[in-house]
Amino acid sequence: MREIKTGGNYATPRRIVAALGAYLIVDLLAVYFWSSAGPVLSIQAPSDSNSTLPVTAMAGVGLWLCLRVLRSFPVGSPLRSAWMLIAFAAAAQAGSGVMAELLGSDWVLNPLLWTGSVQPALLAHIRLGALIAAGPIRLAALAGALLAALRTLRKFGFCGRPSATDWAVCGIACLFSLCRFAEAGAASLAGRETSMQNWISLASLPLLCVLFLEAMLLTQAVLRMGSGPVARCWSAFVWGIFSIGLTELALWLVPHYSRAPLGMVESLARFLTAAIFALAPAYQLAAQAWAMKMASRAEENLATEAPAVAR
Amino acid sequence: MHPSLGALVAFCDGEARGNASRIARHVSRCEECSEHLRRIRNEKDELSVGSAMPVMDSGKGLAGVVAAMASWRGSADGAAASELRSRLRQQIGTYFGFPAITVVERPGIPAEELLGRTSELLDVFLGPAAAEAARDDILSGLAPARSEACR
Repeated sequence: MREIKTGGNYATPRRIVAALGAYLIVDLLAVYFWSSAGPVLSIQAPSDSNSTLPVTAMAGVGLWLCLRVLRSFPVGSPLRSAWMLIAFAAAAQAGSGVMAELLGSDWVLNPLLWTGSVQPALLAHIRLGALIAAGPIRLAALAGALLAALRTLRKFGFCGRPSATDWAVCGIACLFSLCRFAEAGAASLAGRETSMQNWISLASLPLLCVLFLEAMLLTQAVLRMGSGPVARCWSAFVWGIFSIGLTELALWLVPHYSRAPLGMVESLARFLTAAIFALAPAYQLAAQAWAMKMASRAEENLATEAPAVAR
Repeated sequence: MHPSLGALVAFCDGEARGNASRIARHVSRCEECSEHLRRIRNEKDELSVGSAMPVMDSGKGLAGVVAAMASWRGSADGAAASELRSRLRQQIGTYFGFPAITVVERPGIPAEELLGRTSELLDVFLGPAAAEAARDDILSGLAPARSEACR
């Protein structure tokens, strides 16, 4: 009899969606109250550190699920390299959260502060390292993973020609990147200094364009598959990339055109992205759990039918 | 006037209720219709023997029995292949989605090849352990000869 370890795997995607829904409702209510009652009652927006804790937690969940999926693909499996890079990207995201909120903060629980000899410059460097990990490093790993996955999907005939809508969305992402570079170039020509955070964000943009191109091809592959859990797994990556692009766009537009608290908007968008990326391995595990369950049911049926046949 | 071929077949099957006596009278007088009726009866007898049991040459002894068993197994395999194909489609639909069936199942692809392609697909996208479980689910309860051949 096969050993079956599937406990709770079918429900994981539903739990992630429920957590996402609850977080979105609470965050949107907070944004609404802040914008309507904040000016009257002098309510301040929450600190960035506190509002990004759920993002790190969700990234941690994503990493844990990715590692479980990776374990199910032995060395030599065609998708092993893809899942390895996906797990690396998830680790970069979760690690970035830990670096930014624990090691790079002046929080009392930061172990680096316990010695009392830590320079503030070191904390700033750690925070920059966190930005690089969650930005270019994570996106590069994700781009490599999707390239490996697309190669496998093409082998099975799932890749198709992108539609006009796909090209349009991809074009918008590239146009946005060009606008960001033009803005940075204009600021540099005008003698204004571009912050390190901005440089790191700019370095992520070409990778984001590559990811949009891959997402365009992945969309066609998913459309050719349908709506099973494996298709949903890869479709989660498409939505995740779309969400990254939307987050970048929102973070660029909000300071220019809105008074909404940037920290809250950012945490909301980043939590949404982290939840969507966590859904991908969750659907993969759900598919695997379903296969195990069906096989065990078939074995049970055989076991109960065999004595009847013998009689 | 000669009765039609359909009327003769119905007469032969005992279903020409109203016309039975008229056809019987005509056949007893008409040599041509009598010959037609004899041929219909012969063909009907051959057909009913063929469907009830495999054609077996009793003079060939054991070789005849083996040939008849192979013929029976052939028809059983046909049913198993159809069942296998249906199960494979179900599995592809469950894990990937029903549009994926058209990508995996090319027109005229034999059941064995479809099993191979589906197996590879499940292996690659679900991982070996889950793919093996899905294969067990597909093959459970199928004709033993076919299941063994497919493993």
